[in-house]
Amino acid sequence: MAVATSYYLVLSAALFCIGLFGILTRRNALFFLMSVELMLNAANINLVAFSYMHGNLTGQVFSLFTMALAAAEVAIGIGIILVLYRNFDDVDVTRATTMRW
Amino acid sequence: MAEGLFALVPAIVALPFLSFLIALVAGRRLPKGGALVGIAAMTGTLGLSVGALLSVLGVIGTPGISHQILYDWAIGQGTFDLHFGILVDQLSALMLVIVSLISLMVHVFSLGYMNEEGETGLARYYAELGFFSASMLAFVMSDNLLMAFMFFELVGLASYLLIGFWFRRPGPASAAKKAFLVTRFGDYFFLIGVIAVFATFGTAGFVGSEGFPHLAEQALLGEATVQTYFGLDTQAWFSVVGLLVLGGVMGKSAQFPFHTWLPDAMEGPTPVSALIHAATMVAAGVYLVARMYGFYAVSPTALAVIAFVGGFTALFAATMGAVKLEIKQVLAYSTISQYGYIMLALGTGGYIAGVFHLTTHAVFKALLFLGAGAVIIAMHHNEDMWEMGGLKDRMPVTYAAFLAGSLALAGIVPFSGFWSKDEVLYEALIHGLGSPLLLGAWAMGLIAVFFTGFYTFRMVLLTFHGEPRSDDARSPHGVGWTVTGPLAVLGVLAAVGGAINLVPVKKLTGANIDFLHDFLDAESANAAFLGFHHYEELLKSQAGLEPAYIGGETLTLLGSAALSLGLAVGGATLAVVLYRGPSPVRHVERLGRLRDLPFNNYYQDEYQVWLARGLTLGVARAARRFDEGGIDGSVNFVSSISLFSGDRLRRLQSGIVSNYAALVAFGLVVLLVAFGATGGWF
Repeated sequence: MAVATSYYLVLSAALFCIGLFGILTRRNALFFLMSVELMLNAANINLVAFSYMHGNLTGQVFSLFTMALAAAEVAIGIGIILVLYRNFDDVDVTRATTMRW
Repeated sequence: MAEGLFALVPAIVALPFLSFLIALVAGRRLPKGGALVGIAAMTGTLGLSVGALLSVLGVIGTPGISHQILYDWAIGQGTFDLHFGILVDQLSALMLVIVSLISLMVHVFSLGYMNEEGETGLARYYAELGFFSASMLAFVMSDNLLMAFMFFELVGLASYLLIGFWFRRPGPASAAKKAFLVTRFGDYFFLIGVIAVFATFGTAGFVGSEGFPHLAEQALLGEATVQTYFGLDTQAWFSVVGLLVLGGVMGKSAQFPFHTWLPDAMEGPTPVSALIHAATMVAAGVYLVARMYGFYAVSPTALAVIAFVGGFTALFAATMGAVKLEIKQVLAYSTISQYGYIMLALGTGGYIAGVFHLTTHAVFKALLFLGAGAVIIAMHHNEDMWEMGGLKDRMPVTYAAFLAGSLALAGIVPFSGFWSKDEVLYEALIHGLGSPLLLGAWAMGLIAVFFTGFYTFRMVLLTFHGEPRSDDARSPHGVGWTVTGPLAVLGVLAAVGGAINLVPVKKLTGANIDFLHDFLDAESANAAFLGFHHYEELLKSQAGLEPAYIGGETLTLLGSAALSLGLAVGGATLAVVLYRGPSPVRHVERLGRLRDLPFNNYYQDEYQVWLARGLTLGVARAARRFDEGGIDGSVNFVSSISLFSGDRLRRLQSGIVSNYAALVAFGLVVLLVAFGATGGWF
């Protein structure tokens, strides 16, 4: 018994909104990173769901790329957070505002 | 391609230019500050110029002129090209010899005037002399008006540099600036004239059937069509173009009212004054008129202006020369006056007379300036004639040469100046009899002869005769062969130079000895529309200038000669009567206010300074205000709008990542809603 594609999309949208909510409300950079991961995975779910619906593997292969990308992004993100901590003694993103006008 | 010696003609310019480069780069390390390089280059140039003259004459090879195009530097698409070319005809070959001869003499003289007097900056001096000579020689051999204009400007630049040679003193620096600005004012009209010639004829060549003088002639005969502007008919438009070019001529040749720069230019070293006055800068103006004479010959208006300005300048400057105190000032005003004569000759159709006077004047004026230079060396650089006196016995060679030059300048028979000035006045008279304007110009020139005789002999008597009036004059500084050598050469030429064109003798005796006349009237010149015969026909048919005589040709000739000689002798006699004796009296001072007027140059400088300061400065200020307020203002207003809005918009950048994310999210939502609304999802 196959699950209808629309359910996956609803799940994906929910996951995306949770990630977005995290980004908009959290001030801790680590939570930021996690929220971004959630949003990426929401996209992955979309890709896999459509791939399943169309019956080919393109979307699934693409989602593998996205995971690799997410891993790289986490590595860079952690690095940025480390530098952020060194410079501002904190990982609060709202305090690092020295690069504005 | 050019044959024989003509192929070497570019070297005439290249040699002095090379000496300019050598003196500029290595002059400090060379003996005599690069003077020897300059002398070697000018000797070579003189040799090549004489070779070119002999080639034109036919002594070497077949007689004929040479016209070669060296380099097309702008190729027009569907229109005319611009090129550098060399034209060696009778006129330019003669002028090349004059320029290189005078320049060589000046180089040699400079050894005595600059090197031995311990001047600094000699390398710069000789570099500039080489540059000056090269520019003038290139100007002389130009085959088109644009090239002539370019080198005309370089001549102006070189004279600016040389007049301001002692630029650390305020006098020379300001004189150089004045010379540059006044001549530039005239050159502005010349530049418009060059453009007008191109726009009218599509060519600016001087020579042959494609040259613009011949096209102008054909246009007037209805055989060719030219573009005219402002709704003027062909004749009137040609007069306008001719007068525009004349602006440059009057600036360079120091004709009224652009003469004010020349007396100030005396601030430069004396050998430079000799070069400027005799062969290069000032001669460039009248040479240009002679060069494009075929064009002026078809425009009676331009000719009348040339003649009248010339005659007026001749008289006007002579009266100023008669009251000056300094020897170089007298010579400066005499130069202005003599170039007035040349203009008078050219304007009244005396083409050969003008070229003849240009030639003899170059020699005797260079002689007089170099003689004045020798006197100035002897006087320890004191130029006031009232401090001199009695130098005759102490510097006999200088005295003899200076006297020869003075007799030539005053126009006393048989010195060269008599023959040329007599021919100028004779031509002016016979062509002017039909026209009151030209006759007026002639009359002014005639009266100026009297003044010329007077100021010349006043100068000679005050400088060389009587008792010494100062310590400097009692113990003059000795001068070496580098000073007396050029004086001797030029002295002999000034005495006998008139022999190249003894027209009156020919007319009286029938002997064929008017060599310059034959030379400028050669078949090859007429074939290229550059000969005297061709000009004569043009003057007759287009300008309506025909010779007329009072009681026959011989009588007119003799009467004119007797009149000018009588006036010259009269002026000289007056000077001798007034200033002879051991201690002459300052007679001119007794004229009172009548003297003040010419002594202060008829207040020409004052009104020109007013024009510059009062008028031009005011206009310039208003223009600046418009530029800064109007043009810059509108540009600044536009930029201030973006500056202001940018300043407001950048407040959006709070630096807080969450805000950016919120904005991105908000933007995405807006986009989605917009797509939805236009795509009909709802």
